[in-house]
Amino acid sequence: MKALDWVVLLGTLGFIVSYGVWKTRGSRDIEAYLKGDNSMKWWSIGLSVMATQASAITFLSTPGQAYEDGMRFVQFYFGLPIAMVIISITVIPIFYRLNVFTAYEFLESRFDLKTRSLAALLFLVQRGLAAGITIYAPAIILSTMLGWSLNVTILIIGVLVVIYTVSGGTRAVSVTQKQQMAVMMGGMLVAGYMVVQYLPERVSFGDAVAVAGKMGKMNVVDFSFDWDDRYNFWSGITGGLFLALSYFGTDQSQVARYIGGKSVAESRLGLIFNGLLKIPMQFLILFIGVMVFVFYQFNQPPVFFNEAAKARVYATPYADNLRALETQYAGVFAEKQEAVQGLVTALRTEDEGAIATAQQQVDALTANARSVRDEAKQVIKQATPKAELKDTDYVFISFVMKYLPTGLVGLLLAVIFSAAMSSSASELNALASTTVVDIYKRSVRQEGSGRHYVMASKLFTVGWGAIAITFAMFASLLDNLIEAVNIIGSIFYGTILGIFLVAFYFRYIRGNAVFVAAVLAELVVLYCYYFSDIAFLWFNVIGCVCVILFGFILQALFGKPGEQEGTA
Amino acid sequence: MPDINPHEREKPLEKPPFFKHWSGMYWLVLGNLVFLILLFYTLTKIYA
Repeated sequence: MKALDWVVLLGTLGFIVSYGVWKTRGSRDIEAYLKGDNSMKWWSIGLSVMATQASAITFLSTPGQAYEDGMRFVQFYFGLPIAMVIISITVIPIFYRLNVFTAYEFLESRFDLKTRSLAALLFLVQRGLAAGITIYAPAIILSTMLGWSLNVTILIIGVLVVIYTVSGGTRAVSVTQKQQMAVMMGGMLVAGYMVVQYLPERVSFGDAVAVAGKMGKMNVVDFSFDWDDRYNFWSGITGGLFLALSYFGTDQSQVARYIGGKSVAESRLGLIFNGLLKIPMQFLILFIGVMVFVFYQFNQPPVFFNEAAKARVYATPYADNLRALETQYAGVFAEKQEAVQGLVTALRTEDEGAIATAQQQVDALTANARSVRDEAKQVIKQATPKAELKDTDYVFISFVMKYLPTGLVGLLLAVIFSAAMSSSASELNALASTTVVDIYKRSVRQEGSGRHYVMASKLFTVGWGAIAITFAMFASLLDNLIEAVNIIGSIFYGTILGIFLVAFYFRYIRGNAVFVAAVLAELVVLYCYYFSDIAFLWFNVIGCVCVILFGFILQALFGKPGEQEGTA
Repeated sequence: MPDINPHEREKPLEKPPFFKHWSGMYWLVLGNLVFLILLFYTLTKIYA
């Protein structure tokens, strides 16, 4: 990194943190600290909701995913706009009417204290672990690329986030997220412009898209139904809808973003803003990844994008094997580059026969290149058995570090740090507000002053920040950690969603029934986890369906609502 | 003296902009989704 990159990176991050602290100084009561005094406008809510969802991994992994798998990941978001409409109609008015600080507070007015506390605890366990990973996942990639110590990178992200989140609470999170979103989208647009500019002069933008299409990367929508296919229209519109409903409707890190609006209308518009812009944003990020793919059809890509992993192999007896494969890969690339240029020429002639012939040649050489790449991965695995062989997370950051001019490298690193900070800040803020409002203020100390609860919120934010940073620092000691956290999330998410669905849509079921149903559903999910081979993503569905089903059965056993307990 | 942003003194929105009812806004979101899916499908067909 050059001096100018450092100035851009540190200047951007320093400005965002300082602005957040200055703008939100003096929040002295709990309403202001945890709900931002209900002062947020719709566009501020919309940007905040988008920035919370866009973690650093979004900007690191998504272009790499398009590089490897094409555009089809965008279908994963097809259910999101529908979820925004459902939440705007049903959830937002209820949260406003009850004037809640957290989503779980609503559960007490609908059911009872024990159900509220159960849902809050499930959220704290799940989100508390995820907060560590939100910091760890980008830190491992950034530290590898920048040559920094992993712990220093984790500390930089974690401490910066804690500073402004503690200082200004929810409003500081929203205020900084506006700047962070501007940096993120501005940086990505510049990166997209640059990658198109870096294409050879003889290749136009239209040629680049056509080549990407012929090489299978413009596979945006697939209407065919296949259970085993993770991303198609049907899985996106159904699975994506359920995931978005649970994430935006029950996860406090998102709920806090929109219940701080000036009115129901401002909150609704904020979610509608997200519903309109989320898919185009994901499309843009994926499309930049596809353009990086086309760029690497005319510029030699590394055989393996994680250079640090390759450097470790060079220090072993397998170094010569890897170097031989790199030479072989360069040879295949030279042939493929000519073939792709032939495909561009054929596409311009619009001669179907010539296009088919050129495409066959490109496909054959692409298969050769993939085979050499797979061999290189095997060598890396043999030389360093603990090495992570998935290198797609490094595709975009490698392109940025190697090809973008001085200054822009700093800007794109600021994009990734900003994304890491924006989602971490929302998580820490949500963890602190849930701990204070649903546990401490409700069950430990009910008679404290506003100032006391603000101080407690700040201390809990620092505490959760320390837990997240510590967890991130020790994360590398565990294998498959990200998957482990996803599994833990799936174990709890289904039950939480089930409780909320019952609360909103099944008035027949009351507090005792839903509480016992939730405990039983959690036991069923844990049984499935320990004693079955069911894929963990299904735990979300199993937990949710079990809560509803058991809730109905138990309510029937307990008696009609009103006979057994008061109506909510 | 607290720093009060002039925007914060504005009266909060009560009705959706451009539409008389919220249903218009919701149809806009769903219509946009349908438009995007059709656009993406067309792109897929053109470039496949």
